[in-house]
Amino acid sequence: MQIGPRADAAGAAPGVTDVARAAPGVTDVARAAPGVTGFLELSHIRKEFGSFVALHDVSLGVRQGELICFLGPSGCGKTTLLRIVAGLEVQTAGTIMQAGRDITRLPPMERDYGIVFQSYALFPNLSIAENVAYGLVNRRVPRGEREARVKELLALVGLPDSGDKYPAQLSGGQQQRIAVARAIATSPGLLLLDEPLSALDARVRVRLRGEIRSLQQRLGITTILVTHDQEEALSMADRIVVMKDGAIEQLGTAAEIYGQPATPFVADFVGKTNLLPAMPVGEREVQVGAQRFACFIDGAAPAGGGLRVFFRPEDVVVRGVREDTPNSAGAVVERIEFLGAYSRVIFRIDGIDQSLTADLSVNDMAELRPAVGDRLRVAVPAERLRVFG
Amino acid sequence: MSAGEIGPRASAAIAAPGVTAAIAAHAVTRLKVHWTDRIGNVLLVAAGIVLAIFLLAPMVAILAKSIEDKAGVFVGLANFVDYFRTPALAKSIWNSIWVSTLVTAITIPLAFTFAYALTRSRMRFKALLRNLALVPILAPSLLAAISFIFWFGNQGLLKDLLMGGQIYGAPGIVISMVFATFPHALMILVTALSLTDARLYEAADALGTSAARKFWTITLPGAKYGLISAWMVVFTYALSDFGIPKVIGGNFNMLATDIFKLVIGQQDFPKGAVVAIILLVPVAVTYVVDSYVQKRQSALLTARSVPYVPRASPAFDWAMTAFCWTIAVLLLAVLGMAIYGSFVKLWPYNFDMVLDHYRVGLVDAGVIVSWYNSVKMAFWCATLGAAFIFFVAYLLEKTRGIDPFRPFVRLMAVLPMGVPGMVLGLGYIFFFVHAGNPLHFLYGSMAILVVCTTVHYYTSSHLTALTALKQIDNEFEAVSASLRVPFWRTLFRVTVPVCLPAMLDISRYMFVNAMTTVSAVVFLYSPSTTLASVAIVNLDEAGDIGAAAAMATLVVATSAGVCLLYYFLQVWLDRRTQAWRT
Repeated sequence: MQIGPRADAAGAAPGVTDVARAAPGVTDVARAAPGVTGFLELSHIRKEFGSFVALHDVSLGVRQGELICFLGPSGCGKTTLLRIVAGLEVQTAGTIMQAGRDITRLPPMERDYGIVFQSYALFPNLSIAENVAYGLVNRRVPRGEREARVKELLALVGLPDSGDKYPAQLSGGQQQRIAVARAIATSPGLLLLDEPLSALDARVRVRLRGEIRSLQQRLGITTILVTHDQEEALSMADRIVVMKDGAIEQLGTAAEIYGQPATPFVADFVGKTNLLPAMPVGEREVQVGAQRFACFIDGAAPAGGGLRVFFRPEDVVVRGVREDTPNSAGAVVERIEFLGAYSRVIFRIDGIDQSLTADLSVNDMAELRPAVGDRLRVAVPAERLRVFG
Repeated sequence: MSAGEIGPRASAAIAAPGVTAAIAAHAVTRLKVHWTDRIGNVLLVAAGIVLAIFLLAPMVAILAKSIEDKAGVFVGLANFVDYFRTPALAKSIWNSIWVSTLVTAITIPLAFTFAYALTRSRMRFKALLRNLALVPILAPSLLAAISFIFWFGNQGLLKDLLMGGQIYGAPGIVISMVFATFPHALMILVTALSLTDARLYEAADALGTSAARKFWTITLPGAKYGLISAWMVVFTYALSDFGIPKVIGGNFNMLATDIFKLVIGQQDFPKGAVVAIILLVPVAVTYVVDSYVQKRQSALLTARSVPYVPRASPAFDWAMTAFCWTIAVLLLAVLGMAIYGSFVKLWPYNFDMVLDHYRVGLVDAGVIVSWYNSVKMAFWCATLGAAFIFFVAYLLEKTRGIDPFRPFVRLMAVLPMGVPGMVLGLGYIFFFVHAGNPLHFLYGSMAILVVCTTVHYYTSSHLTALTALKQIDNEFEAVSASLRVPFWRTLFRVTVPVCLPAMLDISRYMFVNAMTTVSAVVFLYSPSTTLASVAIVNLDEAGDIGAAAAMATLVVATSAGVCLLYYFLQVWLDRRTQAWRT
């Protein structure tokens, strides 16, 4: 079904391979990169809420020390999956192994993780220091050691002097950093972040992304981040799990997800995209409307069936395109949106009844000076066209 | 779901039917229960059992009693048939319904206008007017009846205004009930009218909407649920109140007084049970409607709403001021007359102001003990009772596990609102009077009064607790569990401190209601546990209206004093928590 180069690799399509494997509980060391063991293994996780199936047979291996991101639209099951890992939700079926221990049926208190919620969930009547020390107190850590640890953690999250304040006296971003400090205070093996940045405004969000990521890398703590923000996922994660309707669509690095989306959904959800219906012509060409483009179908076309062709707006070439440039066609400019560093040009290719988008650099714009109604010649290199069955 | 799904995964699932079938056949996964959670579950089950014993069992006892004869032999529906064949008794149903309807029809418009003035005008002294209007809550409902006897009774000051008419009977009952129900309706309506989003009015103004149209299209629909709710509360109150018809009703019979007469006067328990069940029907109907309405109201106000700030409108503001002060003065006149009457030496012959009724009528006659008992009972309700209610709400809202059992506890928590006090009290007699009942020892004790009163006022307190608990981040428990902190540590370190204002509210509510309640406890007191409100009934029945007024005044003074105490406690608390509440 899938066209992407990694589709045949076990790692990219866990659903398919896991179905093939009969016994749950078999750790899939094979899937992990060489030398890295599967730290957290979710096998055949299924979750039903009444008759609604929130998760279909999800299997996934998380590597020691990586930041893995669950990405998807609301209702895709990403938060449910995180809450199952935390023991806050109980899966209908499936098993979970963490650090070689079967935690499938363990209550939250017997699992080993720290968690940060979108709402921060700081205790409002306790000082920042008391919040951070909350889990330490219960573990009978001696007072002196505890205070030293709190000091260290507050320094770590960049708020060394806030210990005596109360949560309400801090900004949203500061509160979220304290929530992270509290979660890692007891040195858990796993850090769960449930949309940690969604409640913050855009600038703070971008700054905190970098801070959390570098903190995670410094500590080497295995982390699961749930988000619906693709930019957040692309910029922070070692690997991204794109989810849709309770199933994994694709698992890969940011570059793989963006550059070689496994499905039209991933292509559309991560980044902006142009998607066109097409018919295969042999193994090397597709027919789109009245135009014909060269591409690599890789035998993915169902016999006689339609295809979909996809390319990114930034893949459109406009400079130096001549009549004889491969994969080029005449087009009319319909609309231009100036977006600062680049401009988004909406255009229509002759013989194709659909508006398309191109992101043109400042240089492109300076050279071509396109205006609405102008004709220009555009090209999309064959290696940039991706084809879905 | 999976069959209809389109996507690469779906085909994979379909391709391996054996595996999916194996998953489906596998038992649903369950987490092991951590021992700390187990404690929470055990506590919740215990709370459920307590509520079953002290709410459900008495109700069942009434049902059982209604189908037995006096000797305890099963007679089917004979008691009901008998009841409806007794014209005098059956007439009480009609009396109860029309009086309650009339009370509602008078109270709601008055309370709505008052609430409208408080929320939508720029009238001055709003806080003062609001507090004056809420004063009747501090008094037992009987106080109004006593006061109206002083005003309009056979020897009343303004008897001539009635032009030969009688205050005793329906007129006295209606007017006294309006006094007693007014603050209850007012509180609900003020809340309902405060819930309006100013942006709706701004949008309407931008479209050039007339004031009348704004009222009909924004104000009234916005307050719709509050109006229905207030209507229900007033109607139910009027239907089930016992004190007022007892004192000022004369020969006018209502369901609540019938129960009393049948049970206490004639010792006809089965017939009393029949009336109790009949009383349950309309209350149950209003209760069901109300809970439906409550469910729908929640979504009205979003976090983005902008509070409404009324604009100056001299004519309107003056009209509202005049209306509110008229109401306030009338309410004060009722309260004041009872207080005044308690000091008058010998009504209507000697109007010297003396303390005779307090000294002779209450202290020397030994009746003062019942005031002391009331304070004691109110204290226990306000502490143990309030704490119990809060912790049950906590267990329901914030702990995990035993999900199938939770709806039962939830039902037990909201059911008391649908049970009139008279009915609850009667159920307690039937259930606890049995010598064979292991809990029989409670019968006639102070404990049973505390329990009965706590159950009687359970629902409002429960809802207050629930609201406060819901405002606390739901993830606190999850965070605590991830830090391996047992739930009780978070309960005492975080939840209770954060909920203290709500707990104080519940406690105060319990105290004032326990101080003033008559209906539930009128069946349950023993010679050693007489209560102030019951003493008022008895003093009035004995013809000692001066002493009755004195006792009512004492109750009001106590309630007011305690409210003041709570107020200072709240101020102190606010100051202490200023650092973290902003």
